[in-house]
Amino acid sequence: MITKVLVANRGEIACRILRACREAGILTVAVCAPNDQGTLFTEMADELIVLNGDTIATTYLDQEQIIQAALSTGSDAIHPGFGFLSERAPFARSVKQSGIIWIGPSPEAIEQMGDKMTARQTMRNAGVPVIPGEEVESEDQHDAMAALLSASERVGYPLLLKASSGGGGKGMRAVYDPADFLQSAEGARREALAAFGDGRIYIERLLNGSKHIEIQVLADRHGRTIHLGERECSVQRRHQKVFEEAPGPTMTPELREAMGQAAIQAAQAVSYEGAGTVEFLLAPTGEFFFLEMNTRIQVEHPVTELVTGTDIVREQLRIASGQPMSCGELNIRGHAIEVRLYAEDASNNFLPSIGPLAVFRPPEGPGIRLDTGVREGDDVTPNYDPMLAKLIVWAPSREEALQRMRRALDDFVILGTTTNVRFLRELCDAQPIVDGTTTTTTIDDHWPNGWNPIAAPLLEDASLLAAAAGETMGLHRTLAARPDGESLGLPSPFSTLSRRYP
Amino acid sequence: MQHQFSSPDGPVEVSLTRTDSGYALAGHLLEPTGDARLKIRLSDGRIAYAHVAKVGDVWWVHLHGQTYRWERIEPGSTSSQHEGGLVAPMPGKVLEVLVKTGEEVQSGTPLMVLEAMKMEHRIVAAKDGVVTAVHFEAGDQVTQGAVLLELDE
Repeated sequence: MITKVLVANRGEIACRILRACREAGILTVAVCAPNDQGTLFTEMADELIVLNGDTIATTYLDQEQIIQAALSTGSDAIHPGFGFLSERAPFARSVKQSGIIWIGPSPEAIEQMGDKMTARQTMRNAGVPVIPGEEVESEDQHDAMAALLSASERVGYPLLLKASSGGGGKGMRAVYDPADFLQSAEGARREALAAFGDGRIYIERLLNGSKHIEIQVLADRHGRTIHLGERECSVQRRHQKVFEEAPGPTMTPELREAMGQAAIQAAQAVSYEGAGTVEFLLAPTGEFFFLEMNTRIQVEHPVTELVTGTDIVREQLRIASGQPMSCGELNIRGHAIEVRLYAEDASNNFLPSIGPLAVFRPPEGPGIRLDTGVREGDDVTPNYDPMLAKLIVWAPSREEALQRMRRALDDFVILGTTTNVRFLRELCDAQPIVDGTTTTTTIDDHWPNGWNPIAAPLLEDASLLAAAAGETMGLHRTLAARPDGESLGLPSPFSTLSRRYP
Repeated sequence: MQHQFSSPDGPVEVSLTRTDSGYALAGHLLEPTGDARLKIRLSDGRIAYAHVAKVGDVWWVHLHGQTYRWERIEPGSTSSQHEGGLVAPMPGKVLEVLVKTGEEVQSGTPLMVLEAMKMEHRIVAAKDGVVTAVHFEAGDQVTQGAVLLELDE
């Protein structure tokens, strides 16, 4: 049994896991970097250990320190969330060797799937189709570049460069013109080295016009490996997913069964345990190819939870403690959509932005779920990933889910930091989204020259009226001031009093 | 009541009209609600509640799914924007400097590669010109607003 879980992560996913543990009656320990003190997730745990260090490498990636924190707090399990140490096999191994339960698959499974080149080979051997491409096993920069260049000629253009240790679009480059190859390969290598400490790159044929479909799998120690259906995450920008849905709008029961079985085969090939996701590309021809397996909980897991009625994090806890999973027959109900809210300026090439969340008012109402690690008054800093929140809606049909998402995005008020909310809102009106014909190039095809908001002159004038009236009335002076002198959109008790007793 | 705000298309002059219960502009009528929201009867008859907040000199306004930023220009002040300077949009690290002082560049030429938020960002020339100064080299940390390099038309 698990009685106390240390969550080795931060932000939104730490909140998600800490809440699940509390619901399960399990005690929790959070760890945080000094610059995360006071953020939302640090307040959700029974205990908090502030890690010693001022970089990600010396805090959230410091395996020794995190295991020490688990031992010193008497934690009997570690949940790694996603990112950070979630797919580091040596960490999983050290956790187990310290007598602590690792909430995730075995270190061997992580290794076999985590190294993307090894994973491609394992899948080929297991009879799961992989994308045509070539792996280049060379650590030396000069040799690797030469080998990549000659491999690129055999794979053909357009192609995709990927980091063997990659994820989240880092160390990934699409190349359309052989003249750009070396520059792109060097850039990919540099980004991969900086992000993962491993500069190995491989090449895949770029299958434009494909859909990104992934299958959620769960496997327990009682002989069950199941799939929870698909998520379609085709809509991506720089290989970062922004709009995810379940079920896939063009999915058929036959294809779901075929892909589900391939995913189960992939999981069984590495004796998988826990929750994982097998990603596929679905080509316009109807063929599907193994892309990679994520050996952890995924950012977009909520859409699967909403349509299958499964709490994937609770199942992870159950499976890790040796119990059988609680899932029954797969029963997909209604439609769920998730969008990722980023602190970024969508109209300026999606440049990340920073600032205070002076006002942060999420939408409410039926079928709306918000997974976030921030709240009003927080600062968006450049220290971590700029994802602010995941907004997820559920409705009986896809059309109603889209309508609900539009309403929810219109109601989402974030002031003080530039976000992509308006971009997401207009995305919901893009024809491929409405039709469900999205592919991995939808955003670039729809906005070939970058995105700019559709002008709304009437509302723009009205907003000028609001700004000018706010200034005239001195509204900013009656709103609560922050220590640094900036006003927040919170009414201060003093302004209320002064109005009542003039 | 005159106010001036800056916008991407240049300064905007706003002249508010006082009404019995609030203010008016371009057919829209505004009434304060006593909290950080402002009730607006839009010129097309719909009612909207605007959320507002002022951060620094910028008024942020959310209304009907749109978010606007209006930077107030203090009466009598002149623009303090660094002429021709290319400014770091956020704190980060310089990965690569792609141009040298004296080099002629065209609009769209990549000038510098910056790493921030764990991603690489390219700083490109917004106009044709000549690089007159490069203030950082690869490996340097830059703060938000730091002038990275300068361009003359």
